[in-house]
Order: sequence, then structure tokens, then C-alpha cells
Amino acid sequence: MSQLHIPIESTTLENGLRVVVSPDRAVPVATVGVYYNIGFRLEPRGRSGFAHLFEHMMFQGSENAGKMMHIKLINSSGGVLNGSTHYDVTNYYESVPSNALERILWLEADRMRALKVDDENLRNQRDVVKEEVRVNVFNQPYGGFPWLDMPPVAFRNWPNAHNFYGDFADLDAATLEDVRQFFHTYYAPSNAVLLMIGDLTPEEGFSLARRHFAAIPAGAPRPSADVSEAPFDGERRGEVEEKFGTLPAMAIGYRAPERRTADWCALAMLDQALHGGRAGRVHRELVLEQQIAVDTGGGIQYPVGDLFDYDGPTLMVSRLFYKPEYSSDQTLAAYDAVLDAVRQHGIQPGELEEVKVKFRSDYFASLEGGHGGYIPRYGLMHYLACFTLFDGDPTLVNSILGGFLDVTPEQVRAAAQKYLDPARRAVVLRQPSKKAVA
Amino acid sequence: MAAPAAPVSAAVPSLAPEHAVVWPPRARQTLANGLEVVLVESHTIPKLTGELYFRSGNSSTALYAPGLPEITSAVLRTGTARQTSRQIEEDLRRMGADLGAHAGADTSTISFSGLTEFTAELLSLVAELAQSASFPQDEFERERRQMLEGLRIERTTPSFLAGERLRKVLFGAHPYAVVSPTEEQVEAYRLPQLVEFYRAHYLPANALLVIVGDFKSPALLREIDRIFGGWIAGEVAPPPNPALPAVHGRRVHLVHRPEAVQSQILLGNRAITRKHPDWMRLSLANSIYGGAFNSRLVMNIREDKGYTYSPRSGVHALRQHGFFSVSAAVRNDVVAATLTETFYEMDRIRSLPVAENELADARNYMSGVFSLGLGTQDGLAGQLSSVYLERLPEDYLETYRERIRSLTADDVLSAARAYFDSANAQIVVVGDREQIGAQAALFGDVDTYDAQGARIP
Repeated sequence: MSQLHIPIESTTLENGLRVVVSPDRAVPVATVGVYYNIGFRLEPRGRSGFAHLFEHMMFQGSENAGKMMHIKLINSSGGVLNGSTHYDVTNYYESVPSNALERILWLEADRMRALKVDDENLRNQRDVVKEEVRVNVFNQPYGGFPWLDMPPVAFRNWPNAHNFYGDFADLDAATLEDVRQFFHTYYAPSNAVLLMIGDLTPEEGFSLARRHFAAIPAGAPRPSADVSEAPFDGERRGEVEEKFGTLPAMAIGYRAPERRTADWCALAMLDQALHGGRAGRVHRELVLEQQIAVDTGGGIQYPVGDLFDYDGPTLMVSRLFYKPEYSSDQTLAAYDAVLDAVRQHGIQPGELEEVKVKFRSDYFASLEGGHGGYIPRYGLMHYLACFTLFDGDPTLVNSILGGFLDVTPEQVRAAAQKYLDPARRAVVLRQPSKKAVA
Repeated sequence: MAAPAAPVSAAVPSLAPEHAVVWPPRARQTLANGLEVVLVESHTIPKLTGELYFRSGNSSTALYAPGLPEITSAVLRTGTARQTSRQIEEDLRRMGADLGAHAGADTSTISFSGLTEFTAELLSLVAELAQSASFPQDEFERERRQMLEGLRIERTTPSFLAGERLRKVLFGAHPYAVVSPTEEQVEAYRLPQLVEFYRAHYLPANALLVIVGDFKSPALLREIDRIFGGWIAGEVAPPPNPALPAVHGRRVHLVHRPEAVQSQILLGNRAITRKHPDWMRLSLANSIYGGAFNSRLVMNIREDKGYTYSPRSGVHALRQHGFFSVSAAVRNDVVAATLTETFYEMDRIRSLPVAENELADARNYMSGVFSLGLGTQDGLAGQLSSVYLERLPEDYLETYRERIRSLTADDVLSAARAYFDSANAQIVVVGDREQIGAQAALFGDVDTYDAQGARIP
């Protein structure tokens, strides 16, 4: 069961654009994505939030499809579209009835070749992004917790540690010249992968890719950047005021090992044992048994990414919302007892087998998953893109499970001792600024 | 006015001929005890996804114990005659399965998914939860506390406060007015009430089982008959359906949230159920007005004016009634400007027939997006569920695209006039009244509430 057989064909155009096709003719639908190997980690200093603002600008017009035409042409073809900014990639994607495939490729190629935006577009989208930040962060209970709160506490190197949604002053400072520069630096075909999934053949996909993308100039290679982080030299603590929510909360982050190592596979199993739903040890102990916490969650890159979609320093995070009658020290002590147990004893062989079954099941669901139901195979697209851009091999989608299913109980225990060190972690407390309303 | 769209370049590739959209066959059977079963094969991954619905939700008890069905569903998974909470959760993990239990306005649902290699075991667990949940007292008390803490946090969330107020205004004394219990109501729950609700409503004749996944239907039907066939039948009383309040004239309902840095606008009217003959017309009108990225409202207040990130309109079908709503979270100084544009677009679509090209674009959008649901097990399960839960015609999925494509500009105009009732729209704004009160008052008399729902002067 560890080797999958999803059909995957790939090629690279002369300008460096990688093209991946995964045909599935069962239903007349195609999902298309273009992934650029640039996320918020590498946005320019003094321009926090710029990678995300730039993502918005990619919908504001290109040479042959002016403002609003991109969206209109996709919706009126019966399709849906969106984009999102991650740590190390930014994606643009569409799901359409397959008869619109060429139209979508033409649109994606047009904006890769010649984004065409002006100051008015920039002002407009700066306003839209500010409302996005307000609705998701400033005007919500636990807004940005812990995905915006954790990096500045856990990391020291600006690319990993800054505010990814952006300080408003930095958003205001962004200019059209910044937009041109960022596009020129990071949006070259050699820094991207085009994915086509669903109702098409590989030959058709490659031929359409060549027709629409081959003439785009290659551009310069992406500049290299230092995103390294020194190991934690002790526990790091931070505290953030919670203006709305009534419960205290905390997040604990541990540095995760490098992707595609044996330790990484072992930590993934440990993560599932700790954070896998209501059977996971953290939820079971803190919510169901001891009833100190009201809700818990966690994972690698939690809650804005996963095990596969990063390419730099990252954390395994636990998030706890706990009852106000417990102090943060009491809560953290109860959490530490859960982690102490796995550091000392590892997990039971039977527990590891259960965790592997659940991991495999979750992986299948991620591949098929429609991103809320409206983008069939979003997950397959996302992992094909990450394995192409970070590892140079999209077929890892079919073989990656093996490493996880081979993990032994000894490896899990060793990983717990090595990575879940209380002296090398970051803890963020999110404390309500007022008493719970009676 | 929305900014005019740029002209389409001559280079835009035209659409290729469509590939046929073929909906998969359903295997349907009603067991002797009344359980209705719908199965659809979808071999995308070696998993299945299913929903066991009961046609009794929060509206069933809203008039005497709001939220009782919700806590019943939460406690349901915490013990059976045979297993403890911990055994159930570890069993699910062993099968690679997920399970959720929730109550909506009209249904209580046990949702599940898992690997097909454990199909019979997973269905047996679902059947066990549906028939012999044991409702342990200590699990009930734990869930009650979690529900209380959840309610307190909900009251700090702008979208919750807006939705709660709009439902109260539109539905008055009807159960649909209540979206959440108060803390006092939760404190008053007693365990025998949960057991009583469970015994009276979790019955096979009140249930619908929909499963989509990687299986062979005939064999699975036999398995389901074996697993669910012994469930004892019983009759269920329909939920109450009291008269609706008269809603006349625009009125503003301001929920005061001190120092809010953004204002949540939610306005709407009562509308219709999915079974109503106007449903398709109204859906199309909504898609043109504010239901799609490419809609008039989004283009106007987001892409042209930059007032908001995520404006949308929607038509919401409940079983007995429905409602239309428009939502936008906007910066505080453009509350009045946003409402002006929202009503401008509403009055425009009520007054002028939609142009042929805009109509064709919207019909294509709706028929295309509908077919995307074919692509995943979850998508299929969602579409099938609405057909069979609402008892829509058997060929609803097969004929949907055809019916959307036959709609005309007159259909859009008549639906907009009937249901986008701008003169009587109820306007909810959640925000800091010091900053937005004067703007809101431009649109009607203002009633002000605090976050707990109490009227304040």
C-alpha cells in the first residue's frame, strides 16, 4: 500500500518552465495551477506582507487581459479560481470544465509574460488587503494565532521571523516599482511549475504548454538567500494580548528536522500520535482526561501549512485553548507531562501501527481533496508542485508514503528525545486582556 | 458604478466542444425499518465518505431547549453500550477514519470517512452510535463546559453576531430565529433531555444514509442491510412551524462592539426553500448580483472601490423557509458608502433586464461550477445529500445544467424583484457605534444591541 500509481508525466521547456501533467479522464474537469517558488519568507526587507500583496496584483491585469478580464473569462467558462501565498511558494489555480483548458493556459501565460498594472490597481488592492488583515487578524478573536505570533518569538533571521501579513506602514510604502522588481526577480518561468490535472492527455498538456509558454523569456535565476536559523539556545517566550477571546491560549513550537530525512518521517509519526484528532495524546490528556484545555490542535507548520509544503526552517506547533481557572504554568506542566512520556517511553507499537493507518488515510484524502470542495485534486496539485520545486521530482507523490510506513518505535522515541526538547522551544502565550464575560 | 471591464483581446482562445457530463448511477434502497440508503461509486481514492442524516435539527427544540440537538450530537460519540470514549476514538484511528456529529437547523448528522478496507467495521460503529449511545454523565458535563466556552468566544466574533441578529430579525418567534443557545439555556440542560431527544429522533424512518466511495454498490447494500436492518423503527413528530413576523420597511440593527477596527455588514430578506419553483431563477440572479467573484457587487465594492476583502451575497435554503443575505466586512469610514453601493446594485438588478452576454456568462458559470462537484467524493456526497434530504426530483442533478441554461433575462428580473427586497431589507451592522452609528442611521431607524443580545439605549 505504500507505492501509489497516480499517472504523472513531466517535462521542462527551454525557458526552464517545468510542466507536470496528471491525467484522469473520469470526469470532464481540469484543475490547473501555476506555482512560483517564492513565498512570504523571501519578500524584501522593509516590505513585509509584499509577497501576499503581490499575489493580489497578479489578478489586476496583464497585457492581453486587462483588469477584471482574468476573473471574468474564468467564471464565464464555468470555472473558479484563486491564489494563495505560503512560506516558500505562491500559487494561482483554477478548476474548469475541461473545454476551457486552453483559455486558462493562455491567461496564465499572459500574466507570467507581461503583468500590466498601474498605481490605481496597487492602491485598490492595498485597501483590499488591509481589510483582509482586519477581518482575519485585528477584528477576530485569536486572529493570527499562532501563525503570526510564533515566528518572531521562535526565529532570529528576518526571512523566517517577520510579519508575513505585513505591517500597514510597509504595505503603504510599497510602490509600483517594487511590483515590477518582484515580478522580474521571482516570476520568471525558470522559477515556476505549471500543473495540469484531470481531463486531458499528457501530449495535449505539453503541446498546449509549449504553444502558450515557450516564448516567454527565461529570466535570470532566482537570487540565493540565507534563510538559515541557528539552533535554539534555550526556551524562547513571548506574550501577545488577546483583545476579544475569553479563553487564555498558548502555542508551543519545536524546530522540525529537514524535509525528506529519516528524522522527518519519524517526527511526522510522532506528530500524528500527539495531534491526530481526539485520539491524539495532547487532546486526549488535556481535553478529554484532565479537562484543563477546551480545545487543542497541532502539526508541522500548523495551522497554515503541512509536512510537505515548506522549504526552510519550520516548527511543529501545538496550540491549546485552556480554562481560565488554570494558570499558564499549570497548563504547560500538564502538556510537558504528555511530552515527557513519549520522550521517556516512546509510543506503543500498536499505537504506531494505528497512527500509520491514519496517516495513509489522511494522505489519500489530501491528494483528492477539493480545498473546500471546489477545486478537485487541489492536494495532488499542491504536492506535485512542492515536490517539483523543492525536490525536482513530482513522482515523489507516489513513493513518499514508504518512508513514513517504515518508521520504527525506536525511531519515534529517538526523534522525541532529539526534537521535543523543552530547553529548545518557543512558547507564545495569548492572554485575554479582560475577564471572561459572565 | 463598477469600473468598465477592459475589452477582450482577440487572442483569447475560444472554448473547445464540451465533454459530456455524466452523473454516476445511484443505488437506492429503503430498508424494512424505513432507513433510506443512497450509494454512489467513486473510485478516486481507496476511501469512502458518508453522512447519516436525521431530519431533526436544532429547530426541533428551539422553542423550549435551544441547542439540545447540538449537545446531543456532541455527547453521542463519547460512549456506547459496548465502548468507552477512548476506545471509540482509538478504533477510528485504527481504521484510518474520521467521524463528526453535528446538528444544523433541520438535521442532525453523523459524518464519517475512512479506508474502504475497514468499511464494514466503520459502518458498524456508525450504527452503534445511532442506536446504542450511552450518554455518560461525565462526558456530558465535559461537553457542556466546552459548549459554554465556545458560546463565549462566538460572542466576540463579528460574523456570528451579525448572523445571529439577522436570523432573529427575519424569523421572530420561529425556531429559525435561534442560531445558538444562551449560557443559561446550556446550564439548564439535563442528561435525560439528551437521551429523550436521541430516542425520539435518531430513528431509521427519520434517517437518510448517503455514501460515496470506492466500493461495489450491490455488495455494500447487502452489508448495510445486515448492519442497519435490526434497527427498530419508530415515528417522529415534525418540528414546529409557527407564523413568521411581518417585516416592513428598512431597519438598522446595530450590534455595538466597542473599538472595533472594522464593521461587519449583513443585510437580507426572507426568501424561499430549495423546493420552490423560483429557486433556480433566484440562484442565477444571486450569482449575477453578488454570488460569484465576477459578480456586480464584488466588482463594485472590492475591485473598483476597495472597501472590503470578501463581499458576497447568498441564498440560503432551510427546510421550511429561506433567506437572502449580503455580507461585507468594511473599514469603518465606508459603512454608508458600502450600503449605498449595495442597494444601488440591488435596485439596478431589480429595475433593468440583465444584458444577454452577462446572462450567458452567469449561466455558464453556474452550470460549469455545478459539474466540478463530480470531481471528488465529498463534492458528490454534498450534491446528492441536498437532492435526497430535500426530496428533490430524482433527475435533479442530470437536468440542473439544462434548466440553468434555459433561464432568461426575465427570469432574473422577476426573481430579483420578488426576493431582493431592498425597500424592506433588514440591515445588521456589527461595529463601534461611536464610529459608525451616524452612517448606519442614514438607512433607517436604528435599534442597538450589545454583544450579549440585549437592547441598549
